[in-house]
Amino acid sequence: MTDDTQPRTDGGTALPGDSHDDGHLPPRWSLKRWLVTTNHKDVGILYLATAMFFLIFGGVLALLIRAQMWAPRAPGEGILSAMAYNQAVSLHGLIMVFWFISPFATGFANYIVPLQIGAEDLAFPRLNALSYWLYLASGILVFASFFQGASYAGGWTLYAPLNIPAFMPSIGATTTVLAIVVFCVSITVGGVNFITTIHRMRAPGLTMRSLPLFTWSMLLTVWMMLLAFAALLAAVMILLSDRMLGTTYFAATTAGGSVLWTHLFWFFGHPEVYIVFFPALGAMAEIFQTFTGNRIVGRKWFIVSMVLVALQSFIVWMHHMFLTSINLEVKTLFMATTIGISLPFDLMVFALIYTLIKGRIRWDTPMLYAFGAMVLFIVGGITGVFLGAVVLDYEFRGTYWVVAHFHYVMVSGVTGLIAGLFYWFPKITGKTYDEFLGKLSFAVYFTGFNLLYFPLFLAWGTPRRVFAYRPEYLPWHRLASVGAVILGISFLLIIYNLAKSIVAGDDAAANPWPYSTTAEWAVSSPPPMENFPGTPSYASGSLEFLRDDEPTGAAAADGGTTATDGGHAAALESAHDDGGHVDHASYWPFMIGLFTVVTAIGFSGLQTGSFPSGLEGTFYAAASVLGVIGLIGSVSFMGYENFTAHEGGFGETWPFGGVENTKMGMWVFLASDVVLFGAFIGAAIFLRVAYGWTQWHPIPHNPIPGLVNTYLLLTSSFTVILSLVAAQKRSRKGVVASLVVTFLLGLAFLVNKAIEWVVLFQGTEEYAPIALDSSVRASTYFLTTGLHMGHVIAGLLVTAYLIWRAWNGAYVNGDDEPLEYFGLYWHFVDIVWLFLFPMFYIV
Amino acid sequence: MARTKLYTGIYVALFVIATMQVGVEQIGLLEESYLLALGLITALSLIKAVMVAGYFQHLVWEPRSVTYVMLLGFVGFLALTVAASYSIQ
Repeated sequence: MTDDTQPRTDGGTALPGDSHDDGHLPPRWSLKRWLVTTNHKDVGILYLATAMFFLIFGGVLALLIRAQMWAPRAPGEGILSAMAYNQAVSLHGLIMVFWFISPFATGFANYIVPLQIGAEDLAFPRLNALSYWLYLASGILVFASFFQGASYAGGWTLYAPLNIPAFMPSIGATTTVLAIVVFCVSITVGGVNFITTIHRMRAPGLTMRSLPLFTWSMLLTVWMMLLAFAALLAAVMILLSDRMLGTTYFAATTAGGSVLWTHLFWFFGHPEVYIVFFPALGAMAEIFQTFTGNRIVGRKWFIVSMVLVALQSFIVWMHHMFLTSINLEVKTLFMATTIGISLPFDLMVFALIYTLIKGRIRWDTPMLYAFGAMVLFIVGGITGVFLGAVVLDYEFRGTYWVVAHFHYVMVSGVTGLIAGLFYWFPKITGKTYDEFLGKLSFAVYFTGFNLLYFPLFLAWGTPRRVFAYRPEYLPWHRLASVGAVILGISFLLIIYNLAKSIVAGDDAAANPWPYSTTAEWAVSSPPPMENFPGTPSYASGSLEFLRDDEPTGAAAADGGTTATDGGHAAALESAHDDGGHVDHASYWPFMIGLFTVVTAIGFSGLQTGSFPSGLEGTFYAAASVLGVIGLIGSVSFMGYENFTAHEGGFGETWPFGGVENTKMGMWVFLASDVVLFGAFIGAAIFLRVAYGWTQWHPIPHNPIPGLVNTYLLLTSSFTVILSLVAAQKRSRKGVVASLVVTFLLGLAFLVNKAIEWVVLFQGTEEYAPIALDSSVRASTYFLTTGLHMGHVIAGLLVTAYLIWRAWNGAYVNGDDEPLEYFGLYWHFVDIVWLFLFPMFYIV
Repeated sequence: MARTKLYTGIYVALFVIATMQVGVEQIGLLEESYLLALGLITALSLIKAVMVAGYFQHLVWEPRSVTYVMLLGFVGFLALTVAASYSIQ
């Protein structure tokens, strides 16, 4: 351990904590603080603590699975019933993948990334808090699902048609799916925030090339998350529609329905593997550098490899589908792409190994875990190659080989993150952990894990997800169950060590690790509220903290004049006030999370379009109404709340110089919405192909109402533009009039659509009535255009708010940005319709 | 504002193209040559989308990186749709 002022390898100097207080926040011991905080470090701690809870939750389910597997069982034998076992298996997977690993990484990202890039917070602090509360809300829903008949029991991959009410009828199963929807929304909100922050709020001189590797890994992770989770969101929304409204996308009778699910799920699912692993890889890279005293070998190529993997991760998903009915040509193609993605990984692993060889390794606890993570990943990677080959996959798919391989890969990610936990623990808590207990925990952890999972390679002939197996596999399964208990003990050791250290550990220095090179080690442990004692700058080649009146070199760094971002001086002022002008507290993210739980619980009772009868139905309906009212109110109050956040654009902003934070956030969100709509449209196209393209005719009998709606939306897009023009002319009447016309045109669109639907539902003399479940063709029409209508309704709510604000004089004093940002959304809704109209009305 | 004329021109063009799409169906081209009509209608939709994105959303005046962000999402949609549809041929 070093003292607070030890010279750093990058030339900076670690500084003691400054005198900043916690701004408008209550003290840390107050519960209120944790409900209202928007500060990135607090939110990071909330993520880490909540993820640890879900680790224990998922871990207990895993122990139940291993207890049931202690001996081969027939249904009714052992400690779990067949249905309880199915729930334990399904929810163990879902909780560990969704509610533990990624949020655990998000906790580190929240705490560490702004420090590493020289930002004082994320770009949108309240959205950051909202992201956390939605995550917790989704976790509460998963927990609640066990008390609503039964939780989801069809495996973590939610394969169709097992996922539809005919086979999985419990309300709890619907709640589980709703929880995933809420989780996806949380991920999207967080992704927009991190992408904007990392691209737009870097310190002067901190170019993309010199970005710390953990931040690089998180940047690529959130980009993958943004696009992959949008596909999952589409998949689970469609599934919810099948469960709650009665559409028939995944019905057993639908041509291609089951394969459609696997496409949508694995288009998300394979990038998810890297979404899970990349943050750990970034942490490992930082730790390897610090504990070998050596820069990562081939750093540039390491980054290039990560970028390649992030891109390639979207073109390998069908290797999970070799046992489905997809054709041999596409299987061969995806076998090749799968082999291709292993190449950049090889390069990264060799870079890590060569860094070890070149450096002088210090085997502190973080390094032990990071090294262990690399070993586990190598084993997981090599055993995965078997599954990427079509012929071998025919043999291994659906067996315990996949279980063992999958856990080696995923838990290598967990191990890397535990390395990060020990590495950043002194920074986050200001305390040092017990090194002996740390090393002991690693020994127990590594032994337990390998005892648990390596025997499963040997018992590979055991079929997945069932508790019956051949007697000759008994020793291996017994060994695995013993390993599970040892692994569980190691987590208790970790938790005990860290908890004890928080209470009674020695104070940690600002920089406890010699040879650490990133900016988080240049401030006190824990860092002060505003992170830095001045403006962080790398403009001179090493980290310095400049006084607010010193130039930062931002203009040159941004590739243009500072005026492009709305004023350099203003940005610095807002960034470095001592808390007087920058807010850190808001109730509304918490309230939105709370009402999200109420809303989701309410709607979980909806089954094929209606609530259950009697008191139960009344409860669900009342919760739905209360939740929706609360949600609309909370979102409105959050929108109206006066909240000042740090602005970016005072340092490095490549490649988004000149695009303000909010505008960039909107564009990034729209990119994810492209994938969301794209997946809905793609699903409709896929099902039509499966059905026979030319045998499928439009549901609306006449294209003219659709054409009228096209005219209405196009005109409304034009009037939004006119409102912006009026704002620039400082014409309040013009702004209000344009927005009112936009609102009326949007309303007319909805009325026209409603009339069309009513006519279809009721039928005419010429045509029979058509409902959502009349055919999958009808399902795709109603659901896809319904999703679009939902976007129109959301747009109209915002338009009403803008009209009210414009009426009170807003937007005509050079503050017209909200009109432009809303316009981006509204025009996007227009663009989507431009494709939906011909697709569902003409061809 | 000089751009008001431009916006108006774009709006009129969009109106006309939308009408042309229905015109393709009304003149019976779908029955006569389905693939040609499908290609024509899709191309017209793409043209409209590019006009709205380029001028109403101001993409032509934004840094090119913003366009790439949107293309990233669009390429994702294309990859999923085309590969998935091909996989069941």
